[in-house]
Amino acid sequence: MAVSRMRLQRITLQHFRNLAAAKVEFGGARHFLVGPNGQGKSNLLEAVGLLTALRSFRTSDARVLIAHGQAEAAVACEVEHERSGATRVELRLRPGGKEVVVDGVAVTRLADYLGQFPTVVLSSQDQQLVRGAPGLRRRWLDLTLAATDPSYLRLLQAYHRALAERNALLRRGAAVAELAAFERPMAAAAAPLVAARAAGLEHLAAQLARAYSQLAMGASVPESAGFAYAANGAKHVVVAAKAGGAGSPVAPPIPSAMPAGLQGAKEADWLARWEASRARDLQMRTTMTGPHRDDVDFTLEGRPAVDVGSEGQQRSLVLALRVAQAHWFQEHLGVAPLILADDVLGELDPGRRERFWAALTPGWQVIATGTSLPTDEPRAWQVTQVEAGRFQPVAADGRSAL
Amino acid sequence: MASAFESLQAQLKKLPGVGFRSAERIALHLLVEKPEQLPALVEALRTAAVAVRRCTRCGQLAEADLCPICADERRDQGLVCVVEHVPDLVALERSGAHRGVYHVLHGKLSPISGVGPEQLNLASLLDRVSRGEVREIILALSNDVEGEATCHYLTSHLPPGGEVKVSRIGFGLPSGGGVLYADSVTLRSALDGRRSYS
Ligand SMILES: [Zn+2]
Repeated sequence: MAVSRMRLQRITLQHFRNLAAAKVEFGGARHFLVGPNGQGKSNLLEAVGLLTALRSFRTSDARVLIAHGQAEAAVACEVEHERSGATRVELRLRPGGKEVVVDGVAVTRLADYLGQFPTVVLSSQDQQLVRGAPGLRRRWLDLTLAATDPSYLRLLQAYHRALAERNALLRRGAAVAELAAFERPMAAAAAPLVAARAAGLEHLAAQLARAYSQLAMGASVPESAGFAYAANGAKHVVVAAKAGGAGSPVAPPIPSAMPAGLQGAKEADWLARWEASRARDLQMRTTMTGPHRDDVDFTLEGRPAVDVGSEGQQRSLVLALRVAQAHWFQEHLGVAPLILADDVLGELDPGRRERFWAALTPGWQVIATGTSLPTDEPRAWQVTQVEAGRFQPVAADGRSAL
Repeated sequence: MASAFESLQAQLKKLPGVGFRSAERIALHLLVEKPEQLPALVEALRTAAVAVRRCTRCGQLAEADLCPICADERRDQGLVCVVEHVPDLVALERSGAHRGVYHVLHGKLSPISGVGPEQLNLASLLDRVSRGEVREIILALSNDVEGEATCHYLTSHLPPGGEVKVSRIGFGLPSGGGVLYADSVTLRSALDGRRSYS
């Protein structure tokens, strides 16, 4: 698939967090927002990140994005696609929900919107992906796969809807016939969902391994990075990396090289499992097993990175994960992703920073933030000074003043 | 105590799609702007409240014991199309594609919204089946999680042995949308293309 370059041209914000009104011009390949902490840099980056899936990388509560005392926040982005031309995306956030308008047309289904504006956010919170709860990694995987595959999103939404209905029944102590009725659509979604996760991870693993070997510190032969997938609370099984397969939709159930757990499970297997666990689920008043309990671990040489990885290795791993995600988006969407680096470049040592740039594809637009410009960075940045919610472009000859 | 105006407004606000502002506007319209229309409306409400009820067989609107469709001997009384709401039935009738009769559930199972089997017009359908009145059931419920679950629940309560043939439409319909949104041509082809369901 030929890759279309994507450039964010400008963003306009209103009542977004602490930013009463702001307009920032982009357009170039590399932008750096510089200023002390708490001035609005990260908020701006967060607003740009909404473009991809209408979700913030910092919070799941969209209400906190609305400035205090305001009825709504508004974000407008002008994006230039090499192939399809300029697009204007307007996003309104209200306490009751979001409204998205693309070139004057309201978007009614998330599936119609996803995948058009891929962004990848690197933030200091990313360390939690290795060390934090399984839910964070599941959410990362779901977002990555849903952004590139509308049928994955449909499966995910159907599964969670059916799960919520079954859980409502369990809380009420409902009769078996009703539980069984909702287990059917649950199973119909669960089987292809888990198969798609397993297949997606195989491709992502190849990209993660490649990115990690480019980024890994010092070692002449870096460790091999990958994933282990624990479908449905079974033991983690290392995912065999599989290259290629660009642009493929939800994969058919794979003849699995991963026998453990229920990764190859069919609809009937899931029905049997939930039937068998009804008594316990009724007791616990919630569904104890299913794809909503899946976990993905990061591995180094096939062992859990959280156990065997050093601080530096874990840092490289997270960086590699974001690079892999960017390559995944480009490969599956045919659009060069926008890289948003929130206060992370400054934390990298020069060697790793250099390797990070080398791992990115030159055509990708990067918007980064930091309290100071990276001094050893040879590439030209367009610089915007941020102070008290105001964004002031800095001319090239004014850069030494920073 | 609330004034008469306020209590009218409060009653209007309970209607579907009517918010506080619209309720106020309707009340003002009826009482102040066009009071001459009021007696006819009151009379229509009073008459309808007495005359209109659910068909005792299928749950559709009726002004007698049976609705016109159930009372029509030319319709195939053994071929029952199950729908969620009355407007679904109206859409199917408009397409002219169904020569049988209907059963209106008045909803679909949704524990989150507090809808269980008791809230649906389901028992009377199973009664129709147990009296041997039903030869074939066509499920025309929405193609979503709740529609799917309702289909399963219903079929799990049919007598075993496949005495009643069951099929489902929905594959020609916009995903997630009920039959309400499809046009006549789509409905006709969806009915023709119905698939056996188990
Ligand atoms: Zn009737």
